[in-house]
Amino acid sequence: MTDQAFLQYVQSGGQVETTDWMPDDYRAKLVKFIEMHGNSELMGVLPEREWILRAPTLQRKLALTAKVQDEVGHSQLIYRVVEDLGKPREQCLADLISGKSKFHNVFHYPTKTWGDVGVIAWLVDAAAIISQKALLKCSYAPYARIMKKICWEESFHILHGRDVVLTMMNGTGEQRELVQEAVTRWWGPLMQFHGNPIAKDEDPMYVWRIKSQGNEEARQQFLDGYVPQIWELGLTVPDPKLRKNDDGVWEYSEPDWDELKHVVTGHGPKTQERLEFRRTFLEQEAWVRSVVLAQAA
Amino acid sequence: MTTTSDLLLEIADDELILGWRDSEWTGIAPSLEEDVAFSSIAQNEIGHARALYELAARELGTDADALAFDRDPGEYRSAPLVERRRMDWAHTIARHFLYETADEIRLATLKESDNAEVAGLAAKMDREEQYHRLHARMWEERLRDEPRFRDAVHELWPFALGVLPPEQRATLAQHVGLDEVDAVERGQHSDELRELWEEMTIVRRSVPGATW
Repeated sequence: MTDQAFLQYVQSGGQVETTDWMPDDYRAKLVKFIEMHGNSELMGVLPEREWILRAPTLQRKLALTAKVQDEVGHSQLIYRVVEDLGKPREQCLADLISGKSKFHNVFHYPTKTWGDVGVIAWLVDAAAIISQKALLKCSYAPYARIMKKICWEESFHILHGRDVVLTMMNGTGEQRELVQEAVTRWWGPLMQFHGNPIAKDEDPMYVWRIKSQGNEEARQQFLDGYVPQIWELGLTVPDPKLRKNDDGVWEYSEPDWDELKHVVTGHGPKTQERLEFRRTFLEQEAWVRSVVLAQAA
Repeated sequence: MTTTSDLLLEIADDELILGWRDSEWTGIAPSLEEDVAFSSIAQNEIGHARALYELAARELGTDADALAFDRDPGEYRSAPLVERRRMDWAHTIARHFLYETADEIRLATLKESDNAEVAGLAAKMDREEQYHRLHARMWEERLRDEPRFRDAVHELWPFALGVLPPEQRATLAQHVGLDEVDAVERGQHSDELRELWEEMTIVRRSVPGATW
């Protein structure tokens, strides 16, 4: 099969298995894309795990621990897919902590209050599930298959987040303030989350049908699904231009693309601290992996 | 306070504090597989604490969350073994192994309780604890030749004895294969418990009386 025939095959909805032939460029793009997804799940654990110790009720404690555990489980599944494509997990982790590979913009920011915990689980996970649902049709079949389990679990995270937010919005003025501050804090990164509005036919990830929708399409879907809910709760979105036009398209202020680029290239407010934290534990526990591996050999 | 709720609170506080300590590993365990496993164990322990608090709360006229969060650190009955903050993996597994071995002995007695609700709950907990024991033993077998693990077991041994009442300690010594020594008894809380309490109640205390 030629590269061109392969391209036509995936563009007409064809799917590829691990052992099938694939162009080198396609394999490289897959590894880059899926590895970043795995990294994001793993780094996404860090902002939330700080709150596992501070969850204010037993129910919230259980839900948050389970949610963070799900994210670790997702990274495990996703790194396995990368491993089958030829890049071992240890290499992915090494590239992550050295800053060679990337992770999603939202996981470079600090979490300041319990309001952030609710808003992350509700809105960040909502933004993520829109991207992930678009991967259910990924041209690489093994990745599409694990996305079913991941999307299923993420939908519970959204319910958990919404419940945290709803409970606080029905609480005291101080609690409502915590939620509003969190929405204000996260809005910028949320609007950057789906990436710049590059035309989908120019997006190599779409061309290879690794993803099945363009960046702007995903952002519009997010706005359409969640802005009405945010407003309904009496919350304000910090964008005076935000409105839905008569043609159904949401209008908004231009997201700060320089900030997005700056953050994902390793200059976010928490990037270095979180990578250092991962590095510390990887090194500290290296002896445990050696013992286990020596016994398995 | 009756003896039943005394005993229930002792075990509940152990499970709660250990669950909180185990959850310190979520996201940073030595492997992703172990991360998922330890998070499950943490959730089980907290689930057990909740069920025990619910039983005690009925008798005491309060609720499980109030017992878990709203007492002064000095009122907790947890054993010093579970209060120690996240340690290295050798100590974590040493504690896990020692605690699960002690807990099995304690649950066996509790399952014989005259109080049907207590006995029923103990049986239910024991079914889940079986998996914790399998996990703990697997790790104990993996690490038993590692000097740092053996040192950790010896260091924590007096603390492990303090989990059980004096009459059950000989059985524990037999199961673990170590000689009985002076136990680090319950009731002497370290600063680590207060520090943990400060953190675990920080959100709850921030808006008093609020629903979360």
